Amino acid sequence: MGVYHLLAIVFPIALWDVAFLFILIRTLSAGSLATRLEKTIVPLLLLGVLAGAVAYVLGLLAWPYSALTASPLGRNHMLMATWTLAYWTMILVLAWRLGEQMWLGASRWVMLGLAAFGVALLTIAGTLGGSLAGNPSGISDLVRLLGWEVYSTFYVPNLTLWLLVVVSVILVGIGLRERKRHA
Amino acid sequence: MKQASLYASIALFAGSFAVIWATQGTGVIKNDLSRNIFIPAELTMPLQVKAAYNGRDMFFRYRWPSEQPGIYHDMLKFEGGKWVRYGRSVPGPQPQGIYEDRVTMLVDDGSVPEFEKYGGYITIGDRMRFFTNEASKEEVKNQPYLGGKKNKSEVGKYLPATRSDVNDWASVVPEDDLAALREAGYFLDLWHWRAHRSNPIDKSDDQFVAEARYGDSGKGPFFTNWDGDNQQPKLMFDPVSTGRNALNWDDLAQRKLGFDDLYYLREDQAVAFDPDRNWAEGDTIPRRVLRAGEGSRSDISVVGKARWKDGFWDVALVRAMDTGNPLEDKAMVDKRVYNVAFAVHRNATGSRWHYVSLPVSLGLDREAELNAVRFEGAEPQWQQPWLDVALFYPGQVSWPMLVDREQHAGAEQIAEGVPVKVRHSEKQLALYGVEMEFKDEIQLQWLFTMLAGLGLIAAFGVAANLLMTRKEG
Repeated sequence: MGVYHLLAIVFPIALWDVAFLFILIRTLSAGSLATRLEKTIVPLLLLGVLAGAVAYVLGLLAWPYSALTASPLGRNHMLMATWTLAYWTMILVLAWRLGEQMWLGASRWVMLGLAAFGVALLTIAGTLGGSLAGNPSGISDLVRLLGWEVYSTFYVPNLTLWLLVVVSVILVGIGLRERKRHA
Repeated sequence: MKQASLYASIALFAGSFAVIWATQGTGVIKNDLSRNIFIPAELTMPLQVKAAYNGRDMFFRYRWPSEQPGIYHDMLKFEGGKWVRYGRSVPGPQPQGIYEDRVTMLVDDGSVPEFEKYGGYITIGDRMRFFTNEASKEEVKNQPYLGGKKNKSEVGKYLPATRSDVNDWASVVPEDDLAALREAGYFLDLWHWRAHRSNPIDKSDDQFVAEARYGDSGKGPFFTNWDGDNQQPKLMFDPVSTGRNALNWDDLAQRKLGFDDLYYLREDQAVAFDPDRNWAEGDTIPRRVLRAGEGSRSDISVVGKARWKDGFWDVALVRAMDTGNPLEDKAMVDKRVYNVAFAVHRNATGSRWHYVSLPVSLGLDREAELNAVRFEGAEPQWQQPWLDVALFYPGQVSWPMLVDREQHAGAEQIAEGVPVKVRHSEKQLALYGVEMEFKDEIQLQWLFTMLAGLGLIAAFGVAANLLMTRKEG
């Protein structure tokens, strides 16, 4: 299944990268080309998420699960791929719900920042996949320079785990409070 | 207010990822001697090697960095009225620094096919000594062949085809098969230089790895100086030839004794232990006695003097190209290519706390990674450049694990014969080796991290949706 994962993974990478490019163009311009491209962003994101889900499943089938999760590189690729798929799904839902509002005021800059972070996650997940297939790239060296040795498993200590739980609760709380306030 | 909440949410989200990044990889890996876990501060180190031959003898020269020379080993200290052993093999560094440095070299002529591709990994079998799940002494003693006939008490290096089940160290194939395998050359020659147990008499041990690690036939360069019945040394220093009965522990603890001092006990400088002597607190007698070896086990000698100087060991060894012992030594033949793998022990560590190399091809006047230069005369001039070899801490990685498709994603490549060098660097292998020692803990922490990250993304998605959407009109 590994080879089919390699075949499938090009689609979400291309679709999400193009979606980011269109978000960038629309953020910087309100011209006719930008507004026409804007209409393709949600379909691109949707196709990206669907293609990403297919590639994700094929990736899980590339090796026995126990072998994949026994390898630090396998674990890292799986973690980053999971986060990447979840993150772009979150952006899809956001873009879908926001519609035209996405480009009003500061929202477009927020959207651009979120999409840029998604591209960073996607790039790291991709380079880890390359390393796993025996083709490491210079991106791994860049990530190493930033403090993560990609051949070591990406995990955080318990204190950080608790912090993430608390922050998650706070984030939902902030959203609900504002919704209630403006109801 | 809504805008401020949005920015606060973004800051919390971004800050959380910053914390994730800053704290990743911490909180799990720590030394645990009760589980035989000690992670060295440095995971890789360099080794330089040269090789030469003159048609009669084969020479190797090794050079590697070490903070200090580890030349003390296994001592008996008189303490509280009894003789206490310091310097046994322990997990990690010996606490008092009483453990010798070593350089070892496995050699094959192509008779052990996996060795060319995977080097010493093939010798690391199931439940090895000092692994967390090591076989107990009792289990080994109860194994009829290894414990009963060969008097082994621990699972050491062995070759895969000597077992009927790769996952079971005890499944030794019948003795007739073992003999046939050896006749077929299915063993690895092992050159084993020790800074205490052989170097003071300018010798190296000569061993081999087959169904277990053995010394070659004959006498080795040392024997054990312990009378178990009387709980005392068998021998002590001869006061006539050495001017003393014992060493002083403080001299060892403060590392005052150097190459020109007496820090070892030689058989010809020893006399029978005198229990009636008025032994003082801190009197120390080496637990190993050096002697001129005999037979095949004594084939390897030090060229000149092996010494540590300015932060580096420089060791040269020589052996007859053909020792005439084809069941214990790999004969070196002109114009032939071999495979070798090196290991270094330093920083007062023994057993599996060594740095190892991947396999290196050795050519006797043939194209190879390590070119043995032919010369005329008794000793080489060593004018050829060094070969730089990267050594790495291998951790708890075993051959049964590596060939198991459920445990190793690269098992299929091994089955296809893809060499380890094609897929892994030494640094990568060291990191993987360390992670194997905490496999279960890291896997669990990784899973929690993945789920916590997912929760964070979902929570931020909820917040962003609620904060960014506006009511129409």
